[in-house]
Amino acid sequence: MKPWKRIQFWTTRRGRERELAREISAHRQMIEDEYLSQGLPPSEARAASLRRLGSSELTAAERSRDQWGLLWLEALLRDVRFASRLLRHRWLLSFAAIVTVAIGVGANTAVVSVLETALLHPLGLRDADRVFTATVRFDNLHMTHAPDSGVEYRELHSMTNIFSGVAAIEGRDWTSEMHGEPLRLVGRAVTADFFSVFGQHPALGRFFDPADEYAVVLSHRFWQARFAAEPSVIGQALMLDGKPYRIIGVAGPGFRFPTSAEVWIPLQLAPERMAASQRGNNMNLGVYARLRDGARPAQAASRVNAYVAALKSPGTADAGDLAKLSYFIDLEPFSQTVSGDLRRPLWLLWAAALVVLLTGCANISALLLSQTAGRRREMAIRLSLGGTRLQILRQLLVESLMLGVFGGVGGIAVAAVAISLLSNLSLPGQPLLELVRLDYRLLLYGLALALLSGLAFGLAPAVQLLRDSQTAAMARGTRKRFQDVFVAAEVCAAFVLLVSTGLLLQSLWTIEHIQPGFDPAHVTTAYLLKPKQDPGFKHRLVDALANAPGVEAAALAYPVPMSGDGGPTSMFDIRSRHHQHGEPEWHGEAYFVSARFFETLRIPLVHGRGLADSDNESAPLVCLIDRKLAERFFPDQDPIGQEIGMYSGWARVVGVVANIRGTTLESESRPVVYYSIYQIPYFDQAGVVVRSDTPGAPLIRAAVKQASGAAPVFDVRSMDERIAESLGVRRILAQLITVFGGICLLLAAVGLAGVAAQMVSERAKEIGVRVAVGARPEQILAHFLGRGLLSALIGLAAGVLAAVILERRLGSMLYGVAPLDLATFLAVSFTVLVVLFPAVLWPAWRASKIDPQTVLRYE
Amino acid sequence: MAGSSQDLLPGTLEMLILKTLDCGPNHGYAIAQYIQRVSDDALRVGEGSLYPALQRLLIEDWVTAAWGTSGTGRKVRFYKITPAGRKQLRHELDRFAFLVGGINRILEAV
Repeated sequence: MKPWKRIQFWTTRRGRERELAREISAHRQMIEDEYLSQGLPPSEARAASLRRLGSSELTAAERSRDQWGLLWLEALLRDVRFASRLLRHRWLLSFAAIVTVAIGVGANTAVVSVLETALLHPLGLRDADRVFTATVRFDNLHMTHAPDSGVEYRELHSMTNIFSGVAAIEGRDWTSEMHGEPLRLVGRAVTADFFSVFGQHPALGRFFDPADEYAVVLSHRFWQARFAAEPSVIGQALMLDGKPYRIIGVAGPGFRFPTSAEVWIPLQLAPERMAASQRGNNMNLGVYARLRDGARPAQAASRVNAYVAALKSPGTADAGDLAKLSYFIDLEPFSQTVSGDLRRPLWLLWAAALVVLLTGCANISALLLSQTAGRRREMAIRLSLGGTRLQILRQLLVESLMLGVFGGVGGIAVAAVAISLLSNLSLPGQPLLELVRLDYRLLLYGLALALLSGLAFGLAPAVQLLRDSQTAAMARGTRKRFQDVFVAAEVCAAFVLLVSTGLLLQSLWTIEHIQPGFDPAHVTTAYLLKPKQDPGFKHRLVDALANAPGVEAAALAYPVPMSGDGGPTSMFDIRSRHHQHGEPEWHGEAYFVSARFFETLRIPLVHGRGLADSDNESAPLVCLIDRKLAERFFPDQDPIGQEIGMYSGWARVVGVVANIRGTTLESESRPVVYYSIYQIPYFDQAGVVVRSDTPGAPLIRAAVKQASGAAPVFDVRSMDERIAESLGVRRILAQLITVFGGICLLLAAVGLAGVAAQMVSERAKEIGVRVAVGARPEQILAHFLGRGLLSALIGLAAGVLAAVILERRLGSMLYGVAPLDLATFLAVSFTVLVVLFPAVLWPAWRASKIDPQTVLRYE
Repeated sequence: MAGSSQDLLPGTLEMLILKTLDCGPNHGYAIAQYIQRVSDDALRVGEGSLYPALQRLLIEDWVTAAWGTSGTGRKVRFYKITPAGRKQLRHELDRFAFLVGGINRILEAV
């Protein structure tokens, strides 16, 4: 049968019906003519023809219509109409089901959208799984994911048999101007094959040739914002730090790597920077390698590992140092680089959202099952009137699929709202989250999930109903079992999620109560780009800050604590002695600060003196160390007066300060060396920390303006905000898992109550009889209470088992609490029982109040 | 009333209609008359079967239909066999002959 022909016939069926009617009436008239010609009188001939045609006129029309087919479509529409009447009738149940599906599907779709952007197709790159980030690891310095020096780039670049392209990028920021205000422009200097490593094509113009020097490629967003998407920008000049760069191209709209980059310029790596002696120096490069077609990631890793092992083999030039530091080059999938710390939380959220959806389905299933009793008659009648089992099954599935579709539409709305909320979050991964969009694939995912849910929660009740209508009592037993299993599964899911909630909240609480070692209250921080060729700027700025009204103390600092990955970490030498074999490597994290830094952040001085204003460019090089460095590397000697060599020669240690946590509250700091920012002026950026009674942001801007006029200020935030942001992922994760766990518990309670109430109403007569023959209400109460609590307890037991298996997977998301924390398990069990108890008690209490007279007379 | 179309083997009515139309285009009433006459009243095609069968043939593109005027001056629909219909007819005839052969062999077996 030709489907399209059928559709054509079906769509033109009204005209065809008229045609057929005319045809059949002509047929009747010809029969009439026949009778007339046989000599019957006209009136009789007509009657006879009508008689002969009789009901076959109707049958003919009807059966011809059947031929035009699409019967299934008409039947479906009939089913849909019937189902919508039914859903309206049971509006409370329908509403609950739709909301449940909407929440489940919405949460899932939202989480998967983030997963898609962050992990699956990071930043919209289709074949990102072929791209790897090369990072340096020094195990003995506790450094991982460190940027590369020029050497690693050169080495990977020469492995052409395994990588088809290797690119290096280096951070850049420039002072630019917009509407008369100095503006910081963020970009990257990139080697020529950067764009081809990421498989990019320009939206306009071209990308870099190796010969390009003062050229710039704009990001699509920057092109739109700054140049109003004007195609004629190609060939124009963009001023960066006062130098003209020729605009040669615009990147595609989807390409946003790194997420903050607005422009890219060519990176020229001087040969001396790539010389073997430079390994570990100038580690500012991000190196990205694309696997050659046919090469497997494991091959690349083993190739690189073999190379590094050869470097460390005895007899080669740097072998001793590299082996001592335990040097490695790691290849990390690019998606991990992009998603960073969001990766594990995202998978956890996805799993939790799926659990919520499944719990929701189990709940709807249980509630629909409890409705089946009322519909058994309907099914029996339909079957006895000739409805086939398939027709009934279809009808029942249409009902639940409609719930699924409505829920799915609601879920997509929920997801859209959730995604728009993402861009307002204050998280380390926030620029990434801003890129998350709901596209058609995610809409399809949401709808497919909703339909599957509809099928899932519709199938059990439908099958049950069909069996019910045939074999009454026996199958009712199975329905009970089904319901009990569903309810127990809900309790189990709720328990697992709530235990996770408990563990995550405890971790969060523990971390929030870690003392960072300094006083973050009333401290405002910011970064600025130092004006070039203006040596007096820093002094003027410090003076301006110190004299601003309301300022208690202010200082410069690079980097600002809690603003990223901390200071640059490297090895140092101690002038007075040689490193002994077996002694821990002498290493430290460097901060570059002005004199009143310690006063501003209230970091106690333990020993010696602090930095003074006189420790300036013309004074001998000095440094402070923290207590951790002192204890670790000067265990039995007074560090004051010792000289260490890390930057610009030997620096005399003049003081020891207390330890602080400089990156996040939860990570242990490395040993720290504080240099005077005047004496080591290597960095283009400087940070500002200000302790003040009045809001610090305007103070800082005003002081910078006063000191220079044209230095862009950016990333202005209070220290409390920075600390909160470093906890942001944990906080949101804990909140969402709490909500998910709460939803599951609520669903479990509703399911339990629904099933118990159903059981009571089905057995009302039996209860009546029992009471009539002398059962006391307490006995009835106890019976139903026990029955209801049994499935809750079974679910709880399953939950404990599942939690024991699953909670270990939380791994690094936990802090200061064991995955199998007994107190958490007990507290959650208690909570679950407290919430579920009323859900069981209420129907049991109603059962105990049943009046035998009413129930038995009702018959 | 020696038999109605319900008693025919499935698909046989379509074959008979196609065979009838193979001699030339005709309308529904005439097709019924023809089958009845040629079969010596052995087969009687009820309208309740005839028109659905014609619709089926239309859907399959084995016949086409067009309005015209009958010999007695009535507006009727003429059905005409298509090349695909002819092919189908040949196929049906083969199948039918095969079937009848089979039945005959059973009936003649001692």
